[in-house]
Amino acid sequence: MSLPVILLVLFAMLLVVLLAWALRPPEREPRPSLDVFEALRQSRHSSRMSHILQSLQPQDTEYLRSAGQPALIQTVRRQRRIIALNYLQQLQEEFELLLEISRVLAVMSPDVIAMEEMERWKLSLAFAANCAFLKWKLRLGLQPFSGFTLLSNMATSFARRLEAATTRIAEATVRSAEPPGSF
Amino acid sequence: MVEPLQLQTAAWALTTALELSLFVQFLRRKLGRIYPFFFAYLLSIILQSAGSAALYGHPDLDQLTFWKIAWGMQSVVVTMRALTLVELNRRVLSPYVGIWALARRLLLGVAAAVIAYDLLLSKGQWQWLAMNGVRGLELAMAAVIVTMLLFARYYRIPVSPLQRALAVGLCLYSTFYVINYSLLEKVLRQYAVLWNFLGLFAFIASLLVWIGAVRRYSAVEEATVPQTIPAEVYGMISSEVNARLILLNRQLIQFLHLENRSQ
Repeated sequence: MSLPVILLVLFAMLLVVLLAWALRPPEREPRPSLDVFEALRQSRHSSRMSHILQSLQPQDTEYLRSAGQPALIQTVRRQRRIIALNYLQQLQEEFELLLEISRVLAVMSPDVIAMEEMERWKLSLAFAANCAFLKWKLRLGLQPFSGFTLLSNMATSFARRLEAATTRIAEATVRSAEPPGSF
Repeated sequence: MVEPLQLQTAAWALTTALELSLFVQFLRRKLGRIYPFFFAYLLSIILQSAGSAALYGHPDLDQLTFWKIAWGMQSVVVTMRALTLVELNRRVLSPYVGIWALARRLLLGVAAAVIAYDLLLSKGQWQWLAMNGVRGLELAMAAVIVTMLLFARYYRIPVSPLQRALAVGLCLYSTFYVINYSLLEKVLRQYAVLWNFLGLFAFIASLLVWIGAVRRYSAVEEATVPQTIPAEVYGMISSEVNARLILLNRQLIQFLHLENRSQ
C-alpha cells in the first residue's frame, strides 16, 4: 500500500476520532447572552495582576535564605506557586470569557469577518498551549519567581492597555445595546 | 458453520428491512418535507437494493455491463447522499447567516481539497478515476460533516438529536467505506466477501442510528430562531475583543519567556 493511500486511511480514522470529540457534551454550559454582555462591563482579574505580582517578589525568599530558614522558604514558595497557578487560572478564565463573547457575537451577526475569526482561533490554540505549559512548569516546582519581578514591572503597562481596550468594548456594547436591549 | 455468503445474504435482507422501516417511519413523522433530500436518499437506497437483487438474478450479464449498472446505481446513491449532506449543513448552520457564509466557504474548500487529493491517486486511469472519485466524495463528505460539527461545537450552535444522528450515520458509513475500499483495493482482495459484509454491517449501524433518532424525533427540536445584531456592532466589538485576546496572549507569552530566562 502506497504512502498516499495510507495517509488517506489515517485521515479517515482521524475523522472518526474528531467526530467522537465533536459529539461530546460541552464541558460547560453556555452562559446566557445577558451574562456575557454584563461580563464585558465587569472588572477583570488581569487588571489586578500588578498587585498579585507585587506580592511575589523574590526579596522575601532571599531574606529567608540568608536568615537560614529553609523550611520556611519551602512554605513560602509553595504558597507563591499556588498564587501563580490561581493567577494563570484567572487569566485563562478571562480569555475564555472573551472567546465566548466573540462566539455569541459571531453567531448573532449577519456578517462574520473570516480573518478575525481565524485570528481568534489561532490565538485560542496558542493561549491554551502556553497556559498548559506554564501550569505544568509551576506544578513541577520549577523556579518561576525571579521571572515575576520583571513581569511585575511590565504588568502595569499591560493592565493599562487592557483597560483601554476594555473601555472601548464597553462603550461599543452600550452603544449597541440601544435599542436591541434584548441580547 | 454458516457460510460467509449466507451471512451476507442475511445482512442484505436485514439492510433492506431496516431501510423500509426507516422509510415508513420517516413518512409517518412527515419528515420528508423537512429533509426532502434525505427522503430521496432513502428512496434511492431502497431502489438500489431492489436493483442489485435484480442484477444478481441475471448471471448471464457480461462483467462490464454489470459493472456499469452497479456503479451507475452507486453514483446515484452517492449523489443523493452528497445532497443530503448539503441539506443537513444548511439546516444546522444557515439560520446563523454570518456563520453560514463563513462555513460554506470553509466546507467547500475542505471538500474540494479532499476530492482533489483522492483523484490524484487515480493517475489518469478512467476506471480508477470513477472509483477513486466515489471514495474521494465519501471522504470529502465525512470531512465536511466533522468540520460542520466542530464548527457547531465551537460556536455553540444547537444541533438537534435527529441532525446529530443523520451526521453520525453519514460520517460513519463514509469513513468505513474509505477505509474498506482503500484496504480492499491494495491489501485484502482475498477477503473481499468478509469486507463486503463488514461494509454492510457499517451501513446497518448507520440505519439503526437513524431509526432510533427518527423514533425519538419531536417537532420542537427544529424550532430554533437565533437572535441577530447589526453587522457593524459585530465588527466593532469583534476587533476590540481580538485586541484584548492578543494582549492577554502576549501577557502569557512574556510570562513564559521571563520564566525561561529565569531558569
